[in-house]
Amino acid sequence: MTITTETRPGSAAIQNRRQSIQRSLIILVVITVLAAFAPALLPESSQTIAVRVLIFAIMAIGWNLMSGYGGMFSFGHAAFFGIGAYTDVYLLEHFGWSPWISLVVGAMLAALVAICIGYLAFRYKLRSAYFALATFAFAEMLRLLATNTSWVNGTTGFHVPLLPDNSWSMLQFAANAPQYYYIGLALVVICLLITMFYLRSRTGIHTVAVRDNEDAADALGVNVMRVKLTTMALSAAITSVAGMFYAQYFMFVDPDIAFGQAQSVQAIAPAVIGGVATLWGPLVGALILGPLSDLTAGWLRNPPTFLEFLSGRGGLDVVLYSILLIVIALVLPKGIVGSIRDWWKRR
Amino acid sequence: MRTRSFVKLVAAVGSGAVLLAGCAGGGSGGSSGDAKVIKIGTLHPLSGANAGDGTQLENGVKLGIKAINDAGGIKALGGAKLELDGGDTKGTPDTGQSEAQRLVGDGVVALVGTYQSAVSANVAAVAERNKVPFVMDVSGDDAILSHGYKYSFRMQPQNSRFGTTAAQYVKAISAAANRPVTKVAYLHEATAFGTGVYQAFKAEAQKSGLQMGPEITYDAASVSDLTTQIAQVKASGANVLVVSGYYRDGVLAAKAIQTVKPALDAVVGAADGAFDQPQFPTDAGSASQGYFDVNYHFDDKSADAKAFSALYKTTYKDEARTGAALAYDSVRVIAAALEKAGSTDASKVRDAIAQTNLTPLTLSDGPIKFSDKGENSTSLPVLTQVQNGAPVVVYPQSAAVKSPVYPANPGQ
Repeated sequence: MTITTETRPGSAAIQNRRQSIQRSLIILVVITVLAAFAPALLPESSQTIAVRVLIFAIMAIGWNLMSGYGGMFSFGHAAFFGIGAYTDVYLLEHFGWSPWISLVVGAMLAALVAICIGYLAFRYKLRSAYFALATFAFAEMLRLLATNTSWVNGTTGFHVPLLPDNSWSMLQFAANAPQYYYIGLALVVICLLITMFYLRSRTGIHTVAVRDNEDAADALGVNVMRVKLTTMALSAAITSVAGMFYAQYFMFVDPDIAFGQAQSVQAIAPAVIGGVATLWGPLVGALILGPLSDLTAGWLRNPPTFLEFLSGRGGLDVVLYSILLIVIALVLPKGIVGSIRDWWKRR
Repeated sequence: MRTRSFVKLVAAVGSGAVLLAGCAGGGSGGSSGDAKVIKIGTLHPLSGANAGDGTQLENGVKLGIKAINDAGGIKALGGAKLELDGGDTKGTPDTGQSEAQRLVGDGVVALVGTYQSAVSANVAAVAERNKVPFVMDVSGDDAILSHGYKYSFRMQPQNSRFGTTAAQYVKAISAAANRPVTKVAYLHEATAFGTGVYQAFKAEAQKSGLQMGPEITYDAASVSDLTTQIAQVKASGANVLVVSGYYRDGVLAAKAIQTVKPALDAVVGAADGAFDQPQFPTDAGSASQGYFDVNYHFDDKSADAKAFSALYKTTYKDEARTGAALAYDSVRVIAAALEKAGSTDASKVRDAIAQTNLTPLTLSDGPIKFSDKGENSTSLPVLTQVQNGAPVVVYPQSAAVKSPVYPANPGQ
């Protein structure tokens, strides 16, 4: 009962969970209230960046649940992102369905696909790198499928048709309308709440137990397959929400955007930089990575005199991205939030 | 003085930086003066896989702005000078969108871009929602202007026109040479561009009774060898091969054809990114001999076009591709509209662009005129052929510099 220095949430940490969830809820309320003022403070042109941060955050929260807490490293979250996006645009274009309904349909579809992928992978005992490669292959498979399937418009993709007026039911507002930001923020908060309560639930606790020692958990009677598949399904459902929101905000998807590798990386990178298997890590990571490309583009546009030689050269954000990843991996192997948490405990 | 010489040194090392500094200096000097400054936003891929073409387009815009300013700016607005507000799309639609929104927030009077259809589609939606005119220099996908947008215009011919005219031209020149086409094989890259052109070609070919087959696709981003595909063409017995791809894969196709030696009367590019470029004969060597391409092209008879090519070469130390001329003309279209509207009000500028009547640097059926959908209805895809190591226009006769050699016996 008194061994509490465990960094991974072991048995003792579970005891602390009731206490920690209250603390997490308080932090969440504070963050939400602060974030609600952002549109008033930020210049209008940075709204896209703010929304991008929120989309990154949702994806990373989804990825973190499965790969951080569940220990099943996924390199193919684009599959679930893409399913969310395509479900939304397809149902909109062909049946005029509201994105809110597509959100539920897309989440269920993504969960179903996740269960199929997971079942096959675990049935044939794929682990670590092989599991990651399998998820990657599934995402690529979906990309090629979408590219070569004419009823989802092949390579051309879908446009969300423009409406003349704002519409809450169709989730479409004037460009730069603050509604987008608030809807995105609400989705992030809901996803965080789901993560919090899931990790507190029986299945959630089993998930972490399976990650830490699968054989021991199995011996203690945990249904390993069921736990893993549930976590994957929930993770996929959350990620598909990001896809739906992306499609509604950027109003366009094609196979590369929806299922491309870049999307998988965008689910992983914020979580890794912010801190894998921490509640706030994905959010912190998204806050850093979301504006990065725009900041570097801004620097490159009007470089300070000592950086003049950089003007007209793109790709600085990718360089910074890589440097950040390397530095974090070397100096803060648990990510920003994870390292701060450890430091706080050791203090 | 010391910093200045340092800047000069740096600029000399990274060529082009001098020009940028010059532009920026000129721009800020202008804005501090009395005359009003009108910003034009550009959205091109300045980094990433298509940075080469993106830079060409961006340079075209810069030359266009310079030409207008040197001629006294926008006279109807008291000689107001144009200024470039550049955006890098990195070739991705979401960056394109956030850049477009930034430029709109900066108060640009119009947008020019973007090279990739997926990005243009997104920017067109941004333009429509913010009611800012958007002139597409290069972007072929038909779907972009199929939504009834009022604020988007396209300079180049759309993909379907390339496919359709390619089928018509192939039929015409082969018939004229008394060696009609019996069977057409089609090789294209697998994205919206290649697929769209193929579908239009096929529709037209079927209408005029051409036999089609096989259709072979490849992934332009990853392909490193096309000999298997060309061997398939050889086995099919087709006597004409039509290709729709980008630059690098076009060169690969030419080399594969030289190795496999299929018995073809002609290889015809349909909007192919390689076969009509001045660099192609250098890169493909003798394999390039006789290649046709249906594409938009410089008006070789126009003095303005020649002057533009020469200016581009001296300024940027590179051969101008036709896209640069389309970007240059996009600026002229916007400038003419500002002149006509006598205002920077977006809806007035939009209406003036819709009534454009301006002679382009590229081959056309007359002055630039936009249809109700925003398509440049006079843009003209022409047929070029590599003859004596250089691509020249050979069809239709109104635009031709030389006559076509058919059969061209490519790869023999």
